[in-house]
Amino acid sequence: MDLDFTKEQKNFQNEVRSFLHETLEPQVVEKVKNGIPITKEDSERWHEKLNEKGWLAGTWPKQYGGQDWDVVEKFIFEEECGSAGAPRIVPFGVGMLAPVLMKFGSQEQKDYWLPRMLTNEDWWCQGYSEPGSGSDLASLKTSAVREGDYYIVNGQKTWTTFAQHANMIFCLVRTSNEGKPQEGISFILIDMNSPGIEVRPIITLDGSHEVNEIFFSDVKVPANNLVGEENKGWTYAKYLLTHERTGNANVAVSKRKIQKLKKLADDAKKNEKPLSHDPMFASRLAQIEIDLQNLEITNLRTLASVEGGEAPGAESSIIKILGSEIEQDIDNLTRKSLGKRAFVNEPDALSAGYNGSEVLPKAAAYASGKYFNHRKKSIYAGSNEIQKNIISKLMLNL
Amino acid sequence: MDFKPSPERQILFDTLKKYFENEYSLSDRNIAAHSDLGYSKKAWEAMRDLGILESLIDPELDGFGGTALDISTVFEALGRGLVVEPFLEVGILAAKVLSKGSDYHKSLVKKILENDCLPILAHSETDTEYTKSFVETMLSKAADGSYKVSGTKRMVKHAAEATHFLVTCRDNGDAFSEEGISIACIPADRDGIKLDSFATIDGGRVSDLTFTNVTVSSEELIGDIGKSYSIVSQAIDTGILAICSEALGIMERIKELTLEYLKTRKQFGVPIGKFQAIQHRMAQLLVEIEQARSSVINATIYFDDETEREKTISAAKFSIGKIGTLVAEESIQMHGGMGMTWEYDLGHYAKRLVLIDHEFGDEDFHLQKYISL
Repeated sequence: MDLDFTKEQKNFQNEVRSFLHETLEPQVVEKVKNGIPITKEDSERWHEKLNEKGWLAGTWPKQYGGQDWDVVEKFIFEEECGSAGAPRIVPFGVGMLAPVLMKFGSQEQKDYWLPRMLTNEDWWCQGYSEPGSGSDLASLKTSAVREGDYYIVNGQKTWTTFAQHANMIFCLVRTSNEGKPQEGISFILIDMNSPGIEVRPIITLDGSHEVNEIFFSDVKVPANNLVGEENKGWTYAKYLLTHERTGNANVAVSKRKIQKLKKLADDAKKNEKPLSHDPMFASRLAQIEIDLQNLEITNLRTLASVEGGEAPGAESSIIKILGSEIEQDIDNLTRKSLGKRAFVNEPDALSAGYNGSEVLPKAAAYASGKYFNHRKKSIYAGSNEIQKNIISKLMLNL
Repeated sequence: MDFKPSPERQILFDTLKKYFENEYSLSDRNIAAHSDLGYSKKAWEAMRDLGILESLIDPELDGFGGTALDISTVFEALGRGLVVEPFLEVGILAAKVLSKGSDYHKSLVKKILENDCLPILAHSETDTEYTKSFVETMLSKAADGSYKVSGTKRMVKHAAEATHFLVTCRDNGDAFSEEGISIACIPADRDGIKLDSFATIDGGRVSDLTFTNVTVSSEELIGDIGKSYSIVSQAIDTGILAICSEALGIMERIKELTLEYLKTRKQFGVPIGKFQAIQHRMAQLLVEIEQARSSVINATIYFDDETEREKTISAAKFSIGKIGTLVAEESIQMHGGMGMTWEYDLGHYAKRLVLIDHEFGDEDFHLQKYISL
């Protein structure tokens, strides 16, 4: 057993650390550290700086402008970003679509779309879920019918994150009703500015606008926007999902949030003593800390097996369940630690132009909002129930 | 980064696993575990011949192992076999304590390996007090320069067959003080020792021991008088690592038994493992067992780190206590009536797994300890 990073890996860790220290904007970090949403412009400025360094798409091969990072380098980069309070790289283009294009796209598609992801020219969103197709994604109905050099797309997508910012969407569409539902699905790229597309916001229970529904009425899509072969889209979608789930334990983010929570609990009072000394509170906190410490090792074990050449399988489902639940536990306890101040909901309190009363502690600006918003974590990217189905099928062979 | 055990340890684990599968039948084990002796001398000798004890003991004392990783590897295998023979009591607790003593005491460790000696640590005094430094048994000096030991030790496993008792006692300090603790190595046949022996739910016998003015020579004391807390503390920490690893082995075996059952037991015309209500319970168990394993790996990594050891040990014992009980209860539930029978293996694993939480501090104790560190 050897849990140390190699010398090269340590050097890389230091390089990431000092880059983040020099480059991150303090006011953006403050938002991230207080759990407050960042703007599209915040994201784009961050992408730009990462791209200058060549780190926006570090896992990409060098020929496409990446660094060929292996799983450990990716892990180091993400963990350092997590502890530093860096904004999360918007994943839909560089993290999700790009691997699919590289594996299944035409040379023309690679040459055109990949560079544009690095330069903020395109903001991608993901058109998977539909009103009638959530966990049962293969039942999707949005249709694409070939007419000459075009597909005509009709239907509806929903829960589309950041569609309000996006100019492009990658979609799963039905191109055939023959055979099994999985066998009639295609993977296609659609310009969000096409006539016949309407985006309507879905405001979530915390009052924020992240997700949308998208309506497609006779939308004309050039046929060369089809990725790979017609009716093979399900294979590409599954490939994408393994990329979406791999290494998403968010351990560093959770650790940072626990440190923040400890500080809140030291400053709050209960029975004339710091809340952190309250036995009930201390017990809840310690249990989360132990769960997280165990997850850190579980995550490293998965990483080490991938590094050792084993394919990431349903282990990423274990990580997804644990990572989401632990983060939800932290958000829950953070809300509790604020007592009556948890009623406050001023998510703009740290944004430029906010002229309301100062919210103290700052974390109270959006703590309850965050708690409710993060209920999504056990629902999205394959609900935790779906993850258990995957574990039963692939690991338990039930 | 590499979490794989070294090839040598993997071979050791595989060898033991195979041995228990082929040579250590659970029905024989159960007869021995619930007999008047509480274990099988025949099995104990056969396993001694296999070198299990040596793998727990440092090379300088004629063993060939003794590191945290060795102990964890061996005890996971012992857990899979549900071995009831006194490896924890003799190979870990007694051997660790004796190894800190004089040449005479160290020679007893070598005698353990030759099967000439069965020393047993007698430390715990109340049923609900898990603090390692809790000792009220008195050590007092007699006029002739020897000492007298008086007090009660409770729930001492495998005591009836012991050749020596390693008795913690104090000549000063209050009951919880780390100062003032000594360890006396007392031959079991010495006058003034009374045994009350009981059967146990998980196999093996336990005894309450009463020491009444038992004479001890100064040569029989292990370590400096009044300064032996760290010896017993480290032995117990090693014991915690061992039984946490044992629990992992038990959990893996329970997982196998339950999965096999879910795939073969049919109701409504299909294997019950086809029902999602069952699948999700089982998937949750798998997730929890992986977390339990990570907690033990973490404790193993930090075992030789003086500042981190106690905290990671408490985190592991807490995790094992919480998850172990869950695994035991859920696996019995998924087995239905079969899980309730004496004849089937599962229940015996489940009993040991639950009772491990009662040894060296339960989940509540270790959570509080984790908080205090």
